[in-house]
Amino acid sequence: MSPWERRERGGLYYTRSKKVNGKVVREYVGGGILGELAARMDAEERLRRKEEAVAWREEREHLEELADLVDELCEDVETITHAALLAAGFRRHKRAEWRRRRGPRTGAEE
Amino acid sequence: MDREQVQKSKLALQPYEDRPVGCPPDPDLSAMTKEELDTRRETVERLRGLVKKAEKGDKKAVPEIREILQQNPDLAWRFTNVGRVAEWSLIEKVTKEKDLASKDMMSFQLESMREEVAGSSPSPLERLLAERVVASWLQVQLFEGLYVQNMGNLSIRQADYYQKRLDRAHKRHLSAIKTLAQIRKLGPAVQINIAEKQINTAG
Repeated sequence: MSPWERRERGGLYYTRSKKVNGKVVREYVGGGILGELAARMDAEERLRRKEEAVAWREEREHLEELADLVDELCEDVETITHAALLAAGFRRHKRAEWRRRRGPRTGAEE
Repeated sequence: MDREQVQKSKLALQPYEDRPVGCPPDPDLSAMTKEELDTRRETVERLRGLVKKAEKGDKKAVPEIREILQQNPDLAWRFTNVGRVAEWSLIEKVTKEKDLASKDMMSFQLESMREEVAGSSPSPLERLLAERVVASWLQVQLFEGLYVQNMGNLSIRQADYYQKRLDRAHKRHLSAIKTLAQIRKLGPAVQINIAEKQINTAG
């Protein structure tokens, strides 16, 4: 919906729509130079927000890439550590503590 | 394979303890080709699957794990390089582009920290875990720094993102410390073949 509303007398009137308590409410700003000025300010504000959103998205993507490098390293090192411990004859007790496997190894493990 | 590549692979196969103490080589980015990365990922994926099986009681998984570790004796060393690459990227982010002195100083500090965390005569596994402790610590510093630096200008959504990322980084860092402590606690009774040669764990 255009923010410019045509009045009965023929002039254009600038309006803003905003949400108040979940309902869309129309704010009547003005016509003529006042309306033009408000429209320009709103357009600039929209552009600023859009640019900010793009900048934040780019920053976030970059941060995610950096974090992924460390996250991947952490997960892989954890896997290698568990593999090394299992290979050395340890077992994890209650998904926490590592304990040495008791008794001789079974044939399947040799 | 050209001469340079041969030299690089010789270095990769050189036992860690034979290299200058406190002076490991820079990460060899050129050695991390897509093919090598894919192979490494595939190896770790196989290990991950087998570890899950073994932890569920599948006894056939353990010999397969041993076989993979024996077939990839330089696995730990390769991951040291991955750790350095992650570290370099984080340093780039937290320092200004042309501030070479800060980059250098931070690199040096991290190296000292790594040596301190790894302790004296660390096994390759301990080295690897120390690498992880330092990398995860740096990640905590990054998100903490960014959060504090931008605190006044953050939207609720942005603050929420930083907070969640920071929580995750803390969790990873604590987990890294815990695993290293566990390995040290287990003592010398085991031989773990994850580096260039079979080694005794410290203790």
